[in-house]
Amino acid sequence: MAGEKQAASGPRAKVKIVIDGRPHEFPAGLTILEACQRVGIKVPFFCWHPGLSAPAVCRQCLVEIRGFPKPIPSCYTPVADKMEVITNSPKVLDVRRQMLEFTLLNHPIDCPICDKAGECLLQKHYFDWDVRLARNDGSKVRKAKVVDLGRHIVLDQERCILCTRCIRVCNEVARQPDLVMAFRGDRQLLTTAPGQRLDNPYSLNTVDVCPVGALTAKDFRFSMRAWELWATPSVCPGCATGCNIEIHAAHDVIRRLIPRPNPAVNKYWMCDEGRLTYKRVHQDRLVAPLVAGAPARWAAALAEVARLMAWARDKSPSSLGVVLSAQTSNEDLFAFSRLASEHLRTDRVYLAGAREGWCDEILVSADKNPNTTGAKLIGGPTVRTAADLKQDLKIGVLKALLVLGEADAVSPLDSLQTLVVLASHQGPLVTAASVALPLAMWAETDGTFTNRQGKVQRLHAAIAPAGQSRPGWEIAARLARAMGAAWTYANAKQVFSEARDKVMLMSGADWGRPESPVQLRFANSRG
Amino acid sequence: MNDHAPSPTSRRVVMGFGDAANLPEDDELPTESMPLNMGPSHPAMHGTVRMVLEVEGEKVRTVDVQIGFLHRCFEKEAENATWTQIFPYTDRLNYVSPMLCNVGYALAVEKLLDIDDKIPERAQFIRVIVGEISRITDHLTCLAASAMELAAFTVFFYLMKAREWLWELLEEVSGARLTHSYVRIGGVVADLTDDFCPKLRDILGRCRAAIADVDKMLTSNRIFRDRMDGIGIITRDDAIGWGLTGPVGRSAGLAYDVRKDHPYLVYDRFDFDVPVGSVGDNFDRYAVRLEEMRQSMRILEQAMDRLPAGPILLDDARVALPPKREVYNTIESMIAHFKLIMDGIVVPPGEIYSFTEGGNGELGFYIVSDGTGRPWKCRVRPPCFANTAVLNKILPGLFIADIVPTFGMINMIGGECDR
Amino acid sequence: MAKIVLDRLAEQFVAGEITETGSQHGNEWARVNPAHWRGVAQFLRDDPVTALNMFIDLTCVDRLGRTPRFDVVLHLYSVDKKHRVRLLAGLPEDDPSVDSVVGLWPGANWFEREAFDLYGVRFLDHPDLRRILMYPEFVGHPLRKDFPKEGRQPLLRRFPGSVDEEPAP
Repeated sequence: MAGEKQAASGPRAKVKIVIDGRPHEFPAGLTILEACQRVGIKVPFFCWHPGLSAPAVCRQCLVEIRGFPKPIPSCYTPVADKMEVITNSPKVLDVRRQMLEFTLLNHPIDCPICDKAGECLLQKHYFDWDVRLARNDGSKVRKAKVVDLGRHIVLDQERCILCTRCIRVCNEVARQPDLVMAFRGDRQLLTTAPGQRLDNPYSLNTVDVCPVGALTAKDFRFSMRAWELWATPSVCPGCATGCNIEIHAAHDVIRRLIPRPNPAVNKYWMCDEGRLTYKRVHQDRLVAPLVAGAPARWAAALAEVARLMAWARDKSPSSLGVVLSAQTSNEDLFAFSRLASEHLRTDRVYLAGAREGWCDEILVSADKNPNTTGAKLIGGPTVRTAADLKQDLKIGVLKALLVLGEADAVSPLDSLQTLVVLASHQGPLVTAASVALPLAMWAETDGTFTNRQGKVQRLHAAIAPAGQSRPGWEIAARLARAMGAAWTYANAKQVFSEARDKVMLMSGADWGRPESPVQLRFANSRG
Repeated sequence: MNDHAPSPTSRRVVMGFGDAANLPEDDELPTESMPLNMGPSHPAMHGTVRMVLEVEGEKVRTVDVQIGFLHRCFEKEAENATWTQIFPYTDRLNYVSPMLCNVGYALAVEKLLDIDDKIPERAQFIRVIVGEISRITDHLTCLAASAMELAAFTVFFYLMKAREWLWELLEEVSGARLTHSYVRIGGVVADLTDDFCPKLRDILGRCRAAIADVDKMLTSNRIFRDRMDGIGIITRDDAIGWGLTGPVGRSAGLAYDVRKDHPYLVYDRFDFDVPVGSVGDNFDRYAVRLEEMRQSMRILEQAMDRLPAGPILLDDARVALPPKREVYNTIESMIAHFKLIMDGIVVPPGEIYSFTEGGNGELGFYIVSDGTGRPWKCRVRPPCFANTAVLNKILPGLFIADIVPTFGMINMIGGECDR
Repeated sequence: MAKIVLDRLAEQFVAGEITETGSQHGNEWARVNPAHWRGVAQFLRDDPVTALNMFIDLTCVDRLGRTPRFDVVLHLYSVDKKHRVRLLAGLPEDDPSVDSVVGLWPGANWFEREAFDLYGVRFLDHPDLRRILMYPEFVGHPLRKDFPKEGRQPLLRRFPGSVDEEPAP
C-alpha cells in the first residue's frame, strides 16, 4: 500500500485530523479510508483493497474535506495535518447514493442465480447506504454472460462493476498481467490480455477480491450458497508456507478454502493448488479400522496393534521402526514420538512426507508438507530420513513398522512381518497392512502446524472426522493405554501444552481461543 | 381423632355395612394418602400437563404440576432464525390467539428499530382488529373446553361454532385458521379482504347471540354454579406475588390491563371497559372472560367504523419487503429483497422488554439484539406460565373433581406455557 | 418513565451494590452486584416510593464471550405506580449462582426453575430447584450458546453396565 511504504521510511510523524467532528491522531502517510477504518467509521468502497494499490476508480469512498470544493476519494488521499474530514453529511451520503445508482444502472438482476449473493459487496453497500427504488426504466447494456477466462475462472461481463481489483491481483500479486479492461464508458469490459489466458497460479484470488459475482470459480460455482456455509479458521496443508485459510463447509462437507489475512505469512492471498487441497478430505477415506483387511472394532484393532508392537519390541527392538509424517500435526507427532521412545523403545524413528514440487518467490514453497519444521523439531536430531527408511527396508533390517500418515517412502514391503498403518486414505499401504487405523485429517481436528518460518499456527476442526477416524494423538493415547501405560490426554490442547514445555522452538506458541464454525449468513456479509 | 389412632400398618378388614356400623366408636379406619397421576395424556389436561397428586380420599393434599410436554425450543430456534422468520414460531405460542402473539413480537422488534411510531395507521387498526378477534377466539376456546369438561356439551358446540366463524374469517385474511403469520415488522403482510367488515359485523351479531345463549345456560345454572362458586380462590395479593395477569389476575381483583394502563397501537382511541372480579374463584374467571368477549366486540365495532385507508406496511426497504413488481424488474429492489430475506433486518444492538395484553395476560417479549439479522435472545414472558404455577397453591384442599374446572379456568395453553 | 426507580436506587445503595444503570427505548434497567441481588430486589418491593410489588419475569442471558458470562434478568412492575424496572446481575461461567427471590415473590419459583433448567444457573435457597421444561434425564443446559442446536440425548435413565458404544479414551 502506498501509504504505509512512506511511513516506513523517515521519522514516525503523527498527524492530527478531525473526522466527523472528533479529533484523532494517525501516523503520517495513512490514507483517509484506512484512518476511518481504524476508528470504526464505515466508508464504503469497491476498488480499494488493503493488499493492492489504490487507483480510486470506483469513487464510492468519496468524502468531504473542508476547504475542498469537490468530494475527495478517501482511499487515495493521505491524511494531512489539520485536515477536517466529513463522512456523514447529507452531501456525502447523497454522493454515495449517486455512485451506487450509477453502479447499479447496468447491473443485471442476477441475485437469485449469482454465486456471490450473500457475500456481495454491492448488495451490502446498497442495503447499508442507498435503499432507494430504481429511477431508470431503460434497458441495460448487454455483454457476454459466460466467458471462460482460463483454467479456473468464469467471467460474467455484465455483473462486472469495473473496479479493476482482479487486474491488480494479476499484476501485483501473481506478477503475470493476464487481464485488461477493453473499451470505454458503459461498454467497458473485462477481458484477458491479447494472447493470454487467466492461468497464473494465483488466479483464484481474483474470485475472492471481486466485489460482485463477475468472476466465479469453476470449482465452486453453483455448488453451495454462501449463507449456508460455516467458516472455520485453519491453515492450508499444501506446502510449508502455511497460508492462513478459512474452511467453508456446509452439511459436514468442505466446499472451498479462502485465504485469511496474515501480514507475516501470506498477506491476503493463497495459491490455487492450496485451495484445491480440500478435495482430498472427502475422497477415498479409510473410515473403519481394518485388521488383516477386514473391518474391526476399535478396541479389537488397538488390542491387536498393541499385541503386535509388544511382540516386535520384545523380540528385537532394533527391528521395530516408527515412521512419522510431515503432513500430520504437532500434537500427533509429539504423541507418537513419545510412544516410540517410552513404550516401543526404538530409536529407529524416520521422517517421511510428500515429495518436493515446484516453488516460486511469491507464496509457494517446494516442500509440499505443511509440518516439516514441526516434525523435525519434535522428532529431534536422531530422526532418520526417508532415504534411510528406503535403505533399511531394502536391506531387510526392519521387521515391524508403525507408520503415521501417508508415506511414499515406505517401500519395498517384502521384508516386513508386521505393518501397522495410521492412514486417512485407502491406498497400497493400507491394503498391505496387518492393521490399518483410520486417521482424522487436518480439517477435522484441532492442532497446530509449524510452517517454514517456524511459526506455530493453529488448526481448528471444521467438520467431524470421517467415519470412525480419530485424531492421531488420540490413537497414540489409546494405543499406549492398550499397551499398559496410563496416558490421560483428553484433548489436543493438553498434548500441545506438554509439547510446548518439552520442545524448544514451540515455547512461544499460543493455543489461542476456541473457534467454532461461524455461519457466514450472520457474519454480517463480509465482502 | 382419639389418642391411640391405629398406625397405618395395622389394619382391620371390615366386611359390609353391618360390620362397619358395628365398629366401636373409638376405632377409626386407618387412612393414608395415595399418589395419583393425572395426565399428561388425559382428556381434562388439555395443553398437556401432568399433575402428580397426593390424595386422601377425594381430597388433594399436595400437587406437583409438571409442564414441559409441549416444549418445542422456541427460544433456541429464534436464536437461529431471522427476525421475520420468527413470526411462524410466535403463531404457535398461544395457538388459540395467535394474532396477539404476532403483534406482541412485532411491537417489540419495532421498538428496538425505533420505528414504532412510524407504523402506518391502517396497519395499526388492522392489528387491533385481528388481535381482538383472536382474543375472542381464545376466550371462546377456554369456556367451551371447560364447559364440556363439566358435561355441558351444548355450550361446547355453540361456542366452537362461533369460534369457527371467526377462524374462517381470519383464514380469508391470512390464509390459515390458526397459524396466521399475518403480522410483519412494519405492518401486516396483506390488506383485509374487501368484504371483511360486513362479514365481521355479521359474525359478531351471531357471536353475541351464541354468547347470550351460553350465558343463559350457564350463569345461573345450579350445577354449574355449584361446581364453580368458591372453588380455586385466588386473592389479589396472590395475583401480585405470583405475577398473575389477564382474566385470572383481574378476576382476583387486580385491575390491570395493558390495553388500559399502558396503551399501545390505537387502543387509547377506543371506548371499552375491563371487567374485574371480586372473589377470585372459578366463577369469577368465567364471568370475566364472558364479559371480556363482549368488550372485545365493542372495540371491534369501533375499530371497523374508524378504519382509515392507507398503506399497510411501512415503506422502508430496510425493514419491509419492496413490492414484487419492483423486485422482479429492478436490481435495487432485488438486492433489498435479497438482503432482507437472507441476512434479516439489521436491528441495532440493544435490549427491550415489550409487553402487550395477550389472551391470558401480560405477554412480554424480552429481546436482546447483537446488531445482526437474528436475535441474540428472544424470550417470551408467557402469561400462562405464571398462571399455571399458582395451581400449586390453590389445588391442595380441593377435591379431585374440582381440579377439572379450576384447571380449565386458568386456561393453560401448552404452546405458550412450555414454548 | 421509571427514572424515579433509578434515582431511589442511587440514593439507597451507595456502596457499589448497583454497578450500572441506564435507560433505553423506554426501559429503565440497573445492573446489580450479584451478592446484593436479594437485598436490592427486596428494597424495591418494600420501598413506598418504588413499590415494585409485582413479579413479572425472571430469565437469563448467555453473553458468550463476555466475562461474566451469564446475566440473570428480573423484571418487576408496580401495580400502584405503574412503572417497571429491569434488574441484571452478571454471573461467572464456573458455577453461576445467585440468591433466589422466591421468598419475596412466590411466582419466581417456576421462573427460577426454568432458568436453572435451560442455563444451569443455580438459585440458592430455592425450595425445589429441579428441571421444569426438560425431562429429568436430559443432559446439559440447552439455551447456552455452546449447546448445539441439533444432537442426540439419552432418553432413558442409564443403568450401570449398559454400554452401547465404545467408551471415549
